[in-house]
Amino acid sequence: MAAVFRLSCVCSRGVKPLFYRSALLSRPLAVALKDQESPYLLSARIHASQTPASGSNAASLHWTGERVVSILLLALGPAAYFHPGAVVDYSLAAALTLHGHWGIGQVLTDYVHGDAKVKMAKAGLFILSTVTFAGLCYFNYNDVGICKAVALLWSK
Amino acid sequence: MSIAVLSSLSRCGFLAFRSPVGLVAVRHAQTAAAPATEPRIKKFQVYRWDPDTPGDKPRMQTYDIDLNKCGPMVLDALIKIKNEMDGTLTFRRSCREGICGSCAMNINGGNTLACLNKIDTNTSKPSKIYPLPHMYVVKDLVPDMSNFYAQYKSIEPYLKRKDESKEGQEQYLQSIDDRQKLDGLYECILCACCSTSCPSYWWNGDKYLGPAVLMQAYRWMIDSRDEFTEERLSKLQDPFSLYRCHTIMNCTKTCPKGLNPGKAIAEIKKMMAMYKDKKTATA
Repeated sequence: MAAVFRLSCVCSRGVKPLFYRSALLSRPLAVALKDQESPYLLSARIHASQTPASGSNAASLHWTGERVVSILLLALGPAAYFHPGAVVDYSLAAALTLHGHWGIGQVLTDYVHGDAKVKMAKAGLFILSTVTFAGLCYFNYNDVGICKAVALLWSK
Repeated sequence: MSIAVLSSLSRCGFLAFRSPVGLVAVRHAQTAAAPATEPRIKKFQVYRWDPDTPGDKPRMQTYDIDLNKCGPMVLDALIKIKNEMDGTLTFRRSCREGICGSCAMNINGGNTLACLNKIDTNTSKPSKIYPLPHMYVVKDLVPDMSNFYAQYKSIEPYLKRKDESKEGQEQYLQSIDDRQKLDGLYECILCACCSTSCPSYWWNGDKYLGPAVLMQAYRWMIDSRDEFTEERLSKLQDPFSLYRCHTIMNCTKTCPKGLNPGKAIAEIKKMMAMYKDKKTATA
């Protein structure tokens, strides 16, 4: 729907500036022809996201999830300092990955427009997050683990 | 002197004695400043674009104004330019006292109302005036507000009751506390300064409702007389309408009425996390 609106902007601006068709401007001469082919107001088509209530509360659950993970990450800092070990290592791997995944996801939603590009970006992000999580787990399993690795930064 | 005398007279209730001559004197004293010692020339750079001239490109036009012969606000300067220097300059204005929201524009990098914005008296620096950022421009300083108004319409900014059979029979009373919740929300004049200062609204203005509209959505959600709170909330259940807000707080910083749309949006987010949808609750 948004794409349709964009397209209609471009099309109509080729003829005469889009704004002439706005009901808010009284320039009937410029409007007359255009309005006959589309009797409804331009503004009626503009805001497309207000679809009839989907009944799902996925969006607010996602928001709550983001807050919970952020707070968990804050708590994992002291936990990693006082009780370094496998449990904290794997928790950190999961929380960091999820936090980054959702964070970058928000950036993509903000800046990536167009269906094809959105799909590509989401796929890329999914691969990135998977590789990150797998890499961190591999590091935890085969090497010293995240807690020790950070501690090593200032031990030498 | 004459202003002071007259205004004190009018406050004392001697309104009827004000002579027409006195009124004219007051007007004259207000608009034309006292004979100046030295002109204070201030440069105003104004965004100009005329859609009626084929191939015209946006440009900045500079006007020199003597601040001694001009009112204190940017809107006074714009009106002076239009009246005395360049009649083709186009902008919206109406009340000239910050209650209509018509003259919202970008002055020296910040969105504000021209009528509430004092002219910077530092004459060494020019004042730059642009239309509201990232809006389609109709002409000069006039932005196209269709999308903004359509979004406002989409949140159904009016009282909604489940039972409409008793409509118009008696007042819907409110406790003092409930009424106080609306303070800081109902004062919004929909000038769109906040929405057009929001980067999220710049990039996703077609789908993100923006701070002004969301604050009004909140205003109706918390109205004790409105019975559609859950429905209003569930209408925002998508990644764009509400959740493009990243608490950048440009909205609150720029609001010429001193309101806090950022806080209202945060409150909506809290309500979104808490509310129980009537449908799922009863099912």
